[in-house]
Amino acid sequence: MDSKCESSVLLEVSDLSVNFNTRAGIAHVLDGVSFTLSQGEVLGIVGESGCGKSMTALAVMGLIPNPPGEVVGGQIIFRGENLLDSTQQRLRQVRGNQISMIFQEPMTALNPVFTVGDQIAEALVLHQGLSHNAALDKAVELLREVHVPLPEKRIDEYPHQLSGGMRQRAMIAIALACEPEILIADEPTTALDVTVQAQVFDLLLELRRERKMSIILITHDMGAIAEMANRVLVMYAGRVIELAAVDDILQEPRHPYTRGLISCVPTLQFGIEADRQPLKEIPGIVPPLTELSAGCAFEPRCEFSMPACTTDKPVAFQTANGHLTACWLSNDELGTRI
Amino acid sequence: MIISKSEPLLSVRNLKVYFQTKSEKLFGSRKWLHAVDGISFDIPRGTTFGIVGESGSGKSTAALAIMRLVPIMEGEIELRGSRLSEAEGNELMQLRRRVQIIFQDPYSSLNPRMRAGAIVREPLDLMNIGDRDQRDGRVADLFQKVGLRMEQRALFPHQFSGGQRQRIGVARALASQPDLIVCDEPVSALDVAIQAQILNLLRKLQEEFHLTYLFISHDLGVVQHICDDIGVMYLGEIVEQADRIALFKRPLHPYTWALLSAVPSMDRRRGKNKHRVRLKGDPPSPIDLPQGCRFAGRCPFVRNICREKAPVHRQIFPHHWVSCHRVSDDGIPPHETDDYADQQTAI
Repeated sequence: MDSKCESSVLLEVSDLSVNFNTRAGIAHVLDGVSFTLSQGEVLGIVGESGCGKSMTALAVMGLIPNPPGEVVGGQIIFRGENLLDSTQQRLRQVRGNQISMIFQEPMTALNPVFTVGDQIAEALVLHQGLSHNAALDKAVELLREVHVPLPEKRIDEYPHQLSGGMRQRAMIAIALACEPEILIADEPTTALDVTVQAQVFDLLLELRRERKMSIILITHDMGAIAEMANRVLVMYAGRVIELAAVDDILQEPRHPYTRGLISCVPTLQFGIEADRQPLKEIPGIVPPLTELSAGCAFEPRCEFSMPACTTDKPVAFQTANGHLTACWLSNDELGTRI
Repeated sequence: MIISKSEPLLSVRNLKVYFQTKSEKLFGSRKWLHAVDGISFDIPRGTTFGIVGESGSGKSTAALAIMRLVPIMEGEIELRGSRLSEAEGNELMQLRRRVQIIFQDPYSSLNPRMRAGAIVREPLDLMNIGDRDQRDGRVADLFQKVGLRMEQRALFPHQFSGGQRQRIGVARALASQPDLIVCDEPVSALDVAIQAQILNLLRKLQEEFHLTYLFISHDLGVVQHICDDIGVMYLGEIVEQADRIALFKRPLHPYTWALLSAVPSMDRRRGKNKHRVRLKGDPPSPIDLPQGCRFAGRCPFVRNICREKAPVHRQIFPHHWVSCHRVSDDGIPPHETDDYADQQTAI
């Protein structure tokens, strides 16, 4: 799980920009987001609410609500095909089939009036042309694969009859039904208890290993990133501010925001005599996306702010080992400008 | 340790809160849901007692019972000499001045039609504290104490960010100069960067006013950071109770141990402990409780006795209590002795 994934690139997002027309003006929800996802890799996307992490996922799925949202630039290349140029018909073939998604709140994402079995079968009937009965048989197998006890019984139950953890497993079973190449998990464990969260994380890693699936894990929890991800994308106000291998980010965060994000969380110290330092704060709040300055979006909260930060948007700098940072501070330390 | 050298500020004994469920059939029998089932603890003045547990463990119900916001089935709550559990009417009103609460969700716990200043002032108005000028002065003072600007008193809740709203909630709780503040998941609705601001504020205020907190949370990192003593709840019972150093250094109850090892940690990557124990399944329903130990169904160290007889809450070390048959009298927990430990942990 620690090994760097250098196999083939499955998904390449470049310079993706999404605007939302709001009453307060145009909100730059995504602003030049670029990243790649390799086969079998877990890419973590981390940031505070409103940073664009969920929007990135929705854009890849072709699910940006329009209006008010609009993709205004960039490319999403999946297996050589730009999804942004594809027809809705083609997108429907990809969505839920080759790329699928699980959501934060399984209770609202599942349909309360259909049984769990019907909802898993739906994807199979739609994408793989199975008969309803054949699809139900497959649904039992899928539930067994995600470790739901008594799957034969569970397929006839409704979402409200399942516990939170079981519901999320059912969601995962739906997402897996057509053996997708990419699974996007948007805060999959936020609504779950910590012991159940651990079970779901184990399951996702097991599935990734067995099916060579790629996962995009969206979360606000750096601990979850540390456990799950190979590479991490840190977002702030719709922009990518840092992208690197997980060990590099945790041990040597370069962007002041990433450093703040890591040190502001009271990390559990287990098995040792825990110390108790005051937490480092990131002062202020995320700026409204309609009122971003010409410079760096983090500048008003940044303790290292320089004149250049207020006037020019930082470009991304990259070190030899692929650690990418969008911060003017990195200008001196780092070599290649991209 | 800080534990009760003097008389505790809050003393809870054998507190029980049961709810009656609706019957499933028309003339079916109604069952009892054991939300809080006999918990006891003391909080010395100026310290923080944390209650941790998963959803459904009864931690929030315990907090509400101490606020006297849900009916108490049995047990005593004593707030420095006053019987909080039996107070009614005017006496209860007076006691409530001394116990205030900070709620989880700063979006729904503030009246959207009231200005921030009026929200903070409301407890003073309701409890008839001071005259008009004194109240105004107190509100201005509170705004400054929690890091808000005086002129923000005239704004409505929607004009504040989440973190600022929680600051209003803190100011409101402080208004009547309470002895005890119940914090019910005060930071779990906030973004991580904002959590730190509120946690630091709570600690600063505690030092400044010698406040006592009852802190309810599911986030073990936060609890470790802010609490002096901690009770771990499972299905309505406190299964382990200790000071923060002891609990996190060497938890005795298998549930505490599993809970701690399930928390995803940034440290784990740095190679400290890669292994963790996995609990199977979900907590059982608090309606039809198993006889014997409530954790037996999920416990990796379960023995026959655990299913037959409920464990007693025993004191193992001076400030360390645990309810588990498998913890030896000299304080060796099962996860240090059983073979299971060798395979699953490397702590």
